[in-house]
Amino acid sequence: MNLYEYEAKQIFANYDIAVPPSIRITKAEEINTQLAQAISQSKLSFPVTLKCQVLSGGRGKAGGIKFAKDMDEAETLAKDLLKLKINDLPTQSLLIEPKMAIAKELYLAVTLDRNHGCAIFIASAEGGVEIESSHNVVTSRIPYPYHAYIARDLAAALNLQGNLLVKVADIANKLYKLFVAMDLDLAEINPLVINGAGEVIALDGKVIANDDALGRQPYFAGWLENHLDGLSSREQKSKMTGLNLVELSGNIGILCNGAGLTMATMDMVKEFGGQPANFLDAGGGADQKKTLAALEIVQENPDVKVILLNILGGITACDEVARALVEFIDKHPKRQIVVRLRGNNQQLAEEILAKRNVKLFPGLEDAVKEAIKCAV
Amino acid sequence: MILVNKETKVIVQGATGKMGATHTKLMLNYGTNIVAGVTPGKHGETVHGVPVYDTVKTAVKATGATASVIFVPPYLTYDAASEALNAGIKLLVVITEGIPPLDTVKMVQEVKANQAYLIGPNCPGIITPEQCLIGILPGSIFKAGPVGMVSKSGTLTYEIALALTEANLGQSTCIGVGGDPIKGMDYEEVLTLFEKDPATKAMVLIGEIGGNAEEEAALFIKAKIKKPVVAFIAGQTAPPGKRMGHAGAIVSGNKGTAESKIEALTAAGVKVAHTPAQVASYVGQVLTPVAR
Repeated sequence: MNLYEYEAKQIFANYDIAVPPSIRITKAEEINTQLAQAISQSKLSFPVTLKCQVLSGGRGKAGGIKFAKDMDEAETLAKDLLKLKINDLPTQSLLIEPKMAIAKELYLAVTLDRNHGCAIFIASAEGGVEIESSHNVVTSRIPYPYHAYIARDLAAALNLQGNLLVKVADIANKLYKLFVAMDLDLAEINPLVINGAGEVIALDGKVIANDDALGRQPYFAGWLENHLDGLSSREQKSKMTGLNLVELSGNIGILCNGAGLTMATMDMVKEFGGQPANFLDAGGGADQKKTLAALEIVQENPDVKVILLNILGGITACDEVARALVEFIDKHPKRQIVVRLRGNNQQLAEEILAKRNVKLFPGLEDAVKEAIKCAV
Repeated sequence: MILVNKETKVIVQGATGKMGATHTKLMLNYGTNIVAGVTPGKHGETVHGVPVYDTVKTAVKATGATASVIFVPPYLTYDAASEALNAGIKLLVVITEGIPPLDTVKMVQEVKANQAYLIGPNCPGIITPEQCLIGILPGSIFKAGPVGMVSKSGTLTYEIALALTEANLGQSTCIGVGGDPIKGMDYEEVLTLFEKDPATKAMVLIGEIGGNAEEEAALFIKAKIKKPVVAFIAGQTAPPGKRMGHAGAIVSGNKGTAESKIEALTAAGVKVAHTPAQVASYVGQVLTPVAR
């Protein structure tokens, strides 16, 4: 689950990582109320930075970060920025902070690295740019149990010394702490800024929470459905009901049990000249209700001309799938469906389907080729 | 065959739950030597005739079990695994999907510290056909023979095993290492065991998008594996940046693509099949008639 910058900064603040003072507005009119108030209370001062809050990177390049020297400029900019889409994603709100005098910019992140099989620090003395294009990047494996000296070693590797080393190490400690406490996939500060007064402040923040751990993170309870920008509406709906749907641009709808089998079935469709419309894994042990829900989601896509159902029963009961199919066919009699069903309770499934005259293909390749014929 | 045979004594953690109970029965039907179930609070109950204990320690003391299969909800799995390791279990098979990766990191480190084996998480388990099935693989699809299988997938593994069995190319042992990005045994460890196993004459490696395990395996195969290897890689049609079901099945930027894996394996002398049926065809080719 991707978080907005302001949400990442709130988490940083909860863990005593310094972030700039800010206000957040969702309407341009709020400039005259909220920003005016913040200025008059000396919470913020001009010039200010206005930043689109969007679940995408590359904001600066896309014109999503602007500076305003006074109220008029802020209001004009706010109107435009709130309407801005960045990489097709909508701007949810604007975060307004004082423009900062930057003496030095660092990059600091904690992420889970599958190649190392553990969490790692990524750091660079060249912050403020995309880390992929940075030259002096330090990567450091984080052992378990953690010790604070690991962060000091990291700061030293960035050629920091003395007071600054201690301050940056402190931030790294806190970043790792919150990464673990909140079950994150990524906690990134780019740039971590040292300002004119020598203070170390997180000028930007990016946090990705691990999807599988959300259920044990009360902080994130109920957040997921508002953080699914970038998924189509069908993908969002299916995610909220526990189905794995990824939409593509073809016309052969695909439903299987098991992620690897689903990918292999899509690949086979392409291999034999067809175009998959989606990936949908009904999961192991899907019952009649879940299978029906999955079939409905696939068929909602208007591009889908035929649905290819490939179930190789391990723990999945074929008769449950057959009953779901019968229900589905009765609701959508005109839908073309090609079925390959094999495994537990197969005979029972065949009996159930015989009553609806569904063509069953015991071989996967035959089923795929038939589906491609139907999609023409 | 590797790691498990008909003598292997297995306990089922989470035996009284729905998944645990269903698969205890299926494993028993297959002939697996299940000696105990463990569910805290259910001491004295039985699951399909198998006695249930409160703790792994008491179960091991009573039965001498050395392997455990874990059917426990995701946020409780790390605790269950730790408990098993602490009680002396040397082979853990974790079926559970959706374990927070930070828990898996700790689990893997503890497994290593205890010099044990972890298969999974998010996996279908391990089967030595006609001897021992630990997990949820459908036993009827497999038959004993010379092909060692290692795979990230569940049902795709069954699809390929089906093709092999129908071509009369039985399996020595099949291990599903699972679809999570951070896991216990990976390809190299399993391939090493197959290489040393006299019953295994050829290997099938089933991979999918995400990470670089297949690329690393390719280098390993080139350097260390003499027996023939046939591979199949799923996910050529997966769009970048999308999690394709498995937590580990995601192309990040241009890393972890199916193309990269197929290229690496081909360069290592591995025959990469385009369909499950083709896997059987290639395996038939690489096996000498004597070995069948």
